[in-house]
Amino acid sequence: MAHRAAIVLLALAALAAVAAFCFGSPLGPWLAAFAGATFPVALIALGAKRLGRIGWPLGLVWLLLAGGLFAILALPEGGPDIGGLPLATALMLFVLVPVPLLLLGFLYAATFERELREEDLERIRKLRGEV
Amino acid sequence: MPILDRPLIVISTLVYFLACAALGVWALRRTRTARDFWIARQELGVVVTGLATMAAAFSGFVFLGGPGLTYRIGLSSLFINLSIGFTPALLGWALAKRLRLLAEAREVYTIPDAVLARYDSRAASGAAAVAILVGTIGYLGAQLLAMGTLLEAVLGFRESLGAWGMPAAVGIGLAVLLFYAVAGGMVAGIYTDVFQGALMVLAAVAVFWYAMDAGGGFENVTRGIAGSERFGRQFLEPLGDTPALTAMGFFFVFGIGVLGQPHMLHKFYMIKDPRRLKWLPLVLGSSQALCLLIWLGIGLAVPALVAQGRMAPLERPDDAAPAFLLGFAPEWLAGLAVAGILSAIMSTADSFMTLGASCLVRDLPKALGRPIRDEVRWGRIATVVVTLAAAGLALVYGDLIALLGTFAFGTFGAALAPALAVGLNWKRVTAAAATASIVTGTVVNLALEFLARQAFFPGLPKPPLPPGALPTAVSLAASFVVLLAVTAWTGKREPALPEDIVAVMEA
Repeated sequence: MAHRAAIVLLALAALAAVAAFCFGSPLGPWLAAFAGATFPVALIALGAKRLGRIGWPLGLVWLLLAGGLFAILALPEGGPDIGGLPLATALMLFVLVPVPLLLLGFLYAATFERELREEDLERIRKLRGEV
Repeated sequence: MPILDRPLIVISTLVYFLACAALGVWALRRTRTARDFWIARQELGVVVTGLATMAAAFSGFVFLGGPGLTYRIGLSSLFINLSIGFTPALLGWALAKRLRLLAEAREVYTIPDAVLARYDSRAASGAAAVAILVGTIGYLGAQLLAMGTLLEAVLGFRESLGAWGMPAAVGIGLAVLLFYAVAGGMVAGIYTDVFQGALMVLAAVAVFWYAMDAGGGFENVTRGIAGSERFGRQFLEPLGDTPALTAMGFFFVFGIGVLGQPHMLHKFYMIKDPRRLKWLPLVLGSSQALCLLIWLGIGLAVPALVAQGRMAPLERPDDAAPAFLLGFAPEWLAGLAVAGILSAIMSTADSFMTLGASCLVRDLPKALGRPIRDEVRWGRIATVVVTLAAAGLALVYGDLIALLGTFAFGTFGAALAPALAVGLNWKRVTAAAATASIVTGTVVNLALEFLARQAFFPGLPKPPLPPGALPTAVSLAASFVVLLAVTAWTGKREPALPEDIVAVMEA
């Protein structure tokens, strides 16, 4: 089920990317932002053995990426200044890079043992040479 | 820059070369089998793998091109790096585990090996090998040109040797590169990458700190830029003068195209135990983030110094990093930075030397049904052949090779990302779909990029793309669509896969 949802998301993102980059339309950058945020989340969901505990954090990452990219597109001239930088630039530097980096990095480590279990490894090692 | 004016820079360059050569000698004794030569004995820990992956991924462009691009287009250049927030984890979930498990199940040493194992298709693996070889010549040639340009300046060859300065500089760098890569294969490549990666991080952090200090602190730097007539606040805006579609294209291409970079993915085979992948995203991501500080630091400091009237406006934006390091940084820092830049260039170059050789000696012969027996001996010979061919082409057809180098990242991404990232995680993807996607990604990207950038044939048309659309974004998107469409067409039922491949994909 989760796999199927990931494939559907991936297909939507791929079509959005084609529409954005191949056909000149005022919606192009918005479609590209949707594709840019959706591709990584769909591919992570596809690669994860089971969504379980990572479902919500992945949804949060999608909201963060899509929200951040849409905000960059929506804010005229990058918005008001914060700490010497336009708001949208500060968002790029201080939110869109470090937050997913830490959130996904620790999430990957926290769920790794469930993603790669001893019995999976043993099954693969046992099959080596047999096939 | 005359050689005697900057002895510390020259000394740091020579010490760096000696350290690389010493690692080559050490690795020579540890390289006996094909497994040693191609995947460094498969004995690495997570920190070594993470640093080596970062060093291979970040070429001289991060240290030289990035600050120059920022000087030219402002902070919208950061869209190229914005995706490092998620790419390490994306690599971990989508590919690192699967590729490493494939190497546990079978004798898989290269990316085309993985394609062959997954799809049991020599057409798919051959197409992947061709895409990698084409990109390798461009990437490697561009790195060798960058190395020659840097060494020519550091050693003062331009003044002393005139027209022979560039070939002499390339020759010196090549001698060191060939020595350690041929002697020690991937064992030497990996441990020099680790040494080089550590130098890159150290240099990037030190330069960032000094650059901000030279500009009077982060806020002073940004306020100075915003208040200047030459740059203005627009320089600091995320889109600035860059079309929104271009900025989003950078984000898409560098965020998703990373899944097809063979010089990064190849490193995942080398980790000793698949369970050690647990911390890879954090190690890789944090080292990448630290390295990118040099891009941001020099990218902001140089316009700030120009705005303050302390530096003359640059005629060529690519001079941003050298102008700052030679004009403002203390000599020890400039020496460290030059070693860091050389590290960035050479760590990428040595990865491609091995990849190119493996295409010639392992992947293409296997795709043609004629595998070669003594891979280590032929691998060493092929490393020399690929490197000299790339260097020769770069010296003779510099513009063409530089052009190929600029879009090699996109070629790899468009050709390989869908077949690997989707195909290793979804059993319904068929060999026909993978082959069609690899061929589409390669051909469309090469054609569109060449038409968009070439100046060799004035009669050729520009590609019919909307303003601001990156050709690589088009080819990457097209490659995904082709993979999904051909899978839907040919993969109504799950293809029967060998039991070990099923075990890898279900783990």
